[in-house]
Amino acid sequence: MRLYTYAIIDSNSGMDEPIRGLGEASVYNIPYHDIGIVVSDLDPQVQIKTKESILKHEEVVERLMDRFTVLPMRLYTVFSGKEEMLLKVKDYYEDFIENLDRVRNKAEFGIKVIWTGNIIKERISNAYKNESPAHLTQSGTKFMKEKFEKYKIDKEFEEEADRCSAIVDGFFNRLASEKKLEKLKTDNLLLSASYLVDKEKKDDFKKAFEELRSSGGDLKYLLSGPWPPYNFIILSHSGDGKVGGMDISDKAFQHKDMEGNEGRGE
Amino acid sequence: MDSPIKILQDKNSYLDLRKQERVTLLEVLDRALEKGVVISGDIVISVADVDLVYLGLKVLLSSVETMERLRGAPLSGAAEEPT
Repeated sequence: MRLYTYAIIDSNSGMDEPIRGLGEASVYNIPYHDIGIVVSDLDPQVQIKTKESILKHEEVVERLMDRFTVLPMRLYTVFSGKEEMLLKVKDYYEDFIENLDRVRNKAEFGIKVIWTGNIIKERISNAYKNESPAHLTQSGTKFMKEKFEKYKIDKEFEEEADRCSAIVDGFFNRLASEKKLEKLKTDNLLLSASYLVDKEKKDDFKKAFEELRSSGGDLKYLLSGPWPPYNFIILSHSGDGKVGGMDISDKAFQHKDMEGNEGRGE
Repeated sequence: MDSPIKILQDKNSYLDLRKQERVTLLEVLDRALEKGVVISGDIVISVADVDLVYLGLKVLLSSVETMERLRGAPLSGAAEEPT
């Protein structure tokens, strides 16, 4: 029977209360030394790439998070059997121990900041256009001028984003032990930030968000959490070269996506 | 366990349950598709799923912007509500 994996936990004991996973299968813990890998048997009939399965994965991990320190598995990590899985766990055991220590008693919070990036960019662009000479007859000169203007517009846009992101980060930085900031994933998504926060500081973090939100301005904010520490798992062990990144290959199996369409099956 | 709905928004925002669930789903996808413990198993993520993450971000943005409209404070340049 294939095993669907949910998380690595800092316990090698059995579940002290029943949890149902994908396809309503029982969730159980497979011990390895002093840690455990929480799994459920995966019936071949169960569609795993559905909205319900995604939320079920998260629900199981969050229930585990209430009682254990957890390292959440990436979605859709499935092994053909216990032996194959334990071979992998053996490879990464030291990493798992280090990560469990790092994230113990901590949770992840997400902050997304939205601004009217398209309008800001247009404003900067208009300012440069007004400065430009009205007529440029030589096409080469005009081309270079336009290239340079675009560079200046993008640079100024990014500097503005840096300034705003730093202000936002200033509200949360002191409360987090680690952070990951991604700026301008899209023109309108100014900042997508993840903070690893001690559970005792959870309320302080929410309070900081309230302060930020009430500080005025045109930015829009979204706080989510507490999450399992998805963004703060660092695997240094090279294993078979597939650690820490997305693994895209032809092995993707036939599935239906969230809209019910057939997925890549080649 | 914390509520599966874990999105905090402006106090005056109107956000129905369906939208909350959608935003929550997208936040889960934003994390769990690429992040977490990545060790190889039988199943790998196809390129289509990568696209889903970025599609998700766009939907998330429009959801937030829709909320702003519902509050009566339209955000200029907001995307259309996804269907």
